[in-house]
Amino acid sequence: MKTNRNFPAARALGVLIGSIATLACAPAAHAQQRDASVLAGACFNCHGTDGRSPGSIVSIAGRPELELATKLKAFKSEPPPAGTTIMNRIARGYSDADLEALAAYFSGIKAASAAPRAKVKGDGK
Amino acid sequence: MSVKLSRRRALGMLGGAASGALAFPSLSFAERRAGRVVVIGGGFGGATAARYLKRRNPLIDVTLIEPAKRFYTCPFTNLHFGGLRSFEQQGHDFADLRRAGIRVVHELATEVDLASRRVRIASGPWFAYDRLVASPGIDFRWGALAGYDEAAAQLAPHAWKAGAQTKLLKQQLEAMPDGGVFVMSIPGNPYRCPPGPYERASMVAHYLKTHKPKSKILLLDAKDAFSKQPLFQDAWAKLYPGLIEWVPLAKDGKVTRVDAKNLEVETEFGQKHKAAVLNVVPPQKAGLIAELSGLTDASGWVPVKADTFESTQQPGIHVVGDATNAAPMPKSGFCANSQAKVAAAAIVASLAGREAPKPTYVNTCYSLIAPDYGISVAGVYTAADGKLVEVPNSGGVSPRQASDDFRKLEARYGEGWYRAITQDTWGTRS
Ligand SMILES: Cc1cc2nc3c(=O)[nH]c(=O)nc-3n(C[C@H](O)[C@H](O)[C@H](O)COP(=O)(O)OP(=O)(O)OC[C@H]3O[C@@H](n4cnc5c(N)ncnc54)[C@H](O)[C@@H]3O)c2cc1C
Ligand code: HEC
Repeated sequence: MKTNRNFPAARALGVLIGSIATLACAPAAHAQQRDASVLAGACFNCHGTDGRSPGSIVSIAGRPELELATKLKAFKSEPPPAGTTIMNRIARGYSDADLEALAAYFSGIKAASAAPRAKVKGDGK
Repeated sequence: MSVKLSRRRALGMLGGAASGALAFPSLSFAERRAGRVVVIGGGFGGATAARYLKRRNPLIDVTLIEPAKRFYTCPFTNLHFGGLRSFEQQGHDFADLRRAGIRVVHELATEVDLASRRVRIASGPWFAYDRLVASPGIDFRWGALAGYDEAAAQLAPHAWKAGAQTKLLKQQLEAMPDGGVFVMSIPGNPYRCPPGPYERASMVAHYLKTHKPKSKILLLDAKDAFSKQPLFQDAWAKLYPGLIEWVPLAKDGKVTRVDAKNLEVETEFGQKHKAAVLNVVPPQKAGLIAELSGLTDASGWVPVKADTFESTQQPGIHVVGDATNAAPMPKSGFCANSQAKVAAAAIVASLAGREAPKPTYVNTCYSLIAPDYGISVAGVYTAADGKLVEVPNSGGVSPRQASDDFRKLEARYGEGWYRAITQDTWGTRS
C-alpha cells in the first residue's frame, strides 16, 4: 500500500494512540486537516458503506488506486465522460488532492465478500 | 499495549475498522476515558451518528434514544402512493445498530438537563453524557395555518412524517372516485424535503393516470418557485399533460385556511377550492425536544457551527438533520446522514483531545416522476469563515435536455441510493 500522509491509517493510529495513552506533548495549533474517511463518508450514501454497493450504483471498494483517481478527475472535464449522470456534479466539489485521497481510501478497502459483514473478522490486510 | 504500534498492525486495525467489525483489545483505562454519547432520535441523522461514533471509536459508550421500534422512512413513501412500493418496504429496524454495540432505548427523550449533562426518558431514568447528539427531525406548527391541527390531520392528512399518516393518505387516494381533485397545500421555505411535494404530485399523477384518468391534481403553493422546477414541469407536460395544475403564490396559491371537515381550503385572496382528497403539508419547526432544550432560536430551527454541527447556543450538544438551520443545505435524509458523519468525527476527535477534521458535506435528492423517469439535484458543501457554503461550481440539477436513457438511469440510481443510504444508516437490506 502506498504511503500517503492523508491515508486514514495514520488517523486511525492517531485515534488509538490518543485514546490509549496521554500524550506528553500537546499537538501544535494548525488548520483543520483533511481526513479521507470524512471525505468518503458521503460517497457511502450511493456507493454503499465502504464503497461496497448493495444496489445499482457501482462498487468502488478495492479498485486500483490509479484507476479510481483517473476516473474521479475525468468527471471534472467538460463535457464529462459519456454515460455520466451525476458524478460530474459531485466531483467538481473536490480538489484533485481530495480526489486522490479518496482514490487511495477506497482502493485500500477490500472489495465486498459474499459473507455478511458482521461475520467478517480481521478483514484488513 | 505499547504506543509503538507497528504500521502493519495499524493497517490491520484500519481494515477491521473499515468493515465495522474490529475487535479492540480490552483497555479499561482507555475505556474510562473514551466517553459517553447519548443520541436523541433514530432517524437518518441520529442512527447515522450512533453508528459512526461507534465505528470511529468502539470504546465510546453510545446510547440511542428512539421511541419507534421500526423506523419508516419518508423517502420513497411517494413511490408507495404511486403504487410502486409497499408500505412495509419503508421500514427499518435497529437490530444491526445493536449488533454494532449501541445501546438502543425505545423511548421518548423528555428532558435535557444542560447543567448536569443528562437526558431523561419518558419512563423516568436519566442517561448521563459527555456529548449529546440530537436529530429529532421536524415538528409541525399546529395552528399556524388556520384550521389545521392534529384533529384536522385525521381528515386531511399531511403524510409528512411516515407512518399512520402515510397509510391514511394512501387509503384516501385509493378510495377517491375517478374524476375527483387531489389538492395539495404546499408551505413556504424552509421545510422538510424541498422537492418532496412535487415528487408526490408526480407519483400521485402516475397512479391516477393508470387508475383514475378523469381525476386532476391541484397544487396550491405558498412560493413562486420550487426545487428542480423546470425539470418537473417539462416532465409533467410530457407524461401527464393537463393532469397537474400548479398555482404559485403570485396567482393566489397560498392557502390561509383549511376546513378539514368539508375538505375545502381557502387562499389568501378568498378563493375556495374543494377537494376529493386533501393533502396539507403544514408549516414546520425543529423537533420539540430541541425547542425544550434551549437549542432553537427565534426562527424555530437550531443554529449550529458550520464545521462540527455543534449548537452555537449549548456547548457539547451537536444537532444534525432537519432540525437545524443549515442553509444552503436543504432538509434531506442525505444531508442528515452526511452532517451526522461529520459531527461523529468531530465528537470522536474532541473526546480524544484532538481538533476536528476539515468538514465536507454532500446532498443528493433523487425524485422519481414516473417508473423510468428520474431527476436529481446535488450539492457539495464545506465551512468557510464559520459559514456553511456550497463549493463553487459543484452540484446542480440534472440537465434539462437529456435522453430517455438518462432519465431511466437516474430512476435506477435513485433506487440504488435508497438501498445504499438505508443500509449505511440502519444496516438493513431493502
Ligand atoms: C415525502 C417525503 C419524501 C422525502 N424524500 C427524500 C429523498 O428522496 N431523499 C432525501 O434525502 N430526503 C427525503 N426526505 C427528507 C427526509 O425524510 C428528512 O430530511 C430526514 O428524515 C431527516 O432526518 P432527521 O434525522 O433530521 O429526522 P428523522 O429522520 O425524521 O428522524 C427523527 C427521529 O427522531 C425521533 N425523535 C423526535 N423527538 C424525539 C425525542 N424527544 N426522543 C427520542 N426520539 C425523538 C423521531 O421519532 C424520529 O424517528 C423526504 C421527506 C418527505 C416528507
Ligand atoms: C448521488 C449518488 C452518488 C454519490 C454521492 C457519489 N457517487 Fe460516484 N457514482 C454515482 C453514479 C450514478 C456513478 C456512475 C456514473 C454517473 O452516472 O455519473 C458513479 C461513478 C463513480 C465512479 C466511477 C466508477 C466506474 O467504475 O466507472 C467513481 C470512481 C466514483 N463514482 C466515486 C465516488 C466518490 C469517491 C464519491 C464521494 C466523493 C462518490 N462517487 C459519490 C453516484 C454517486
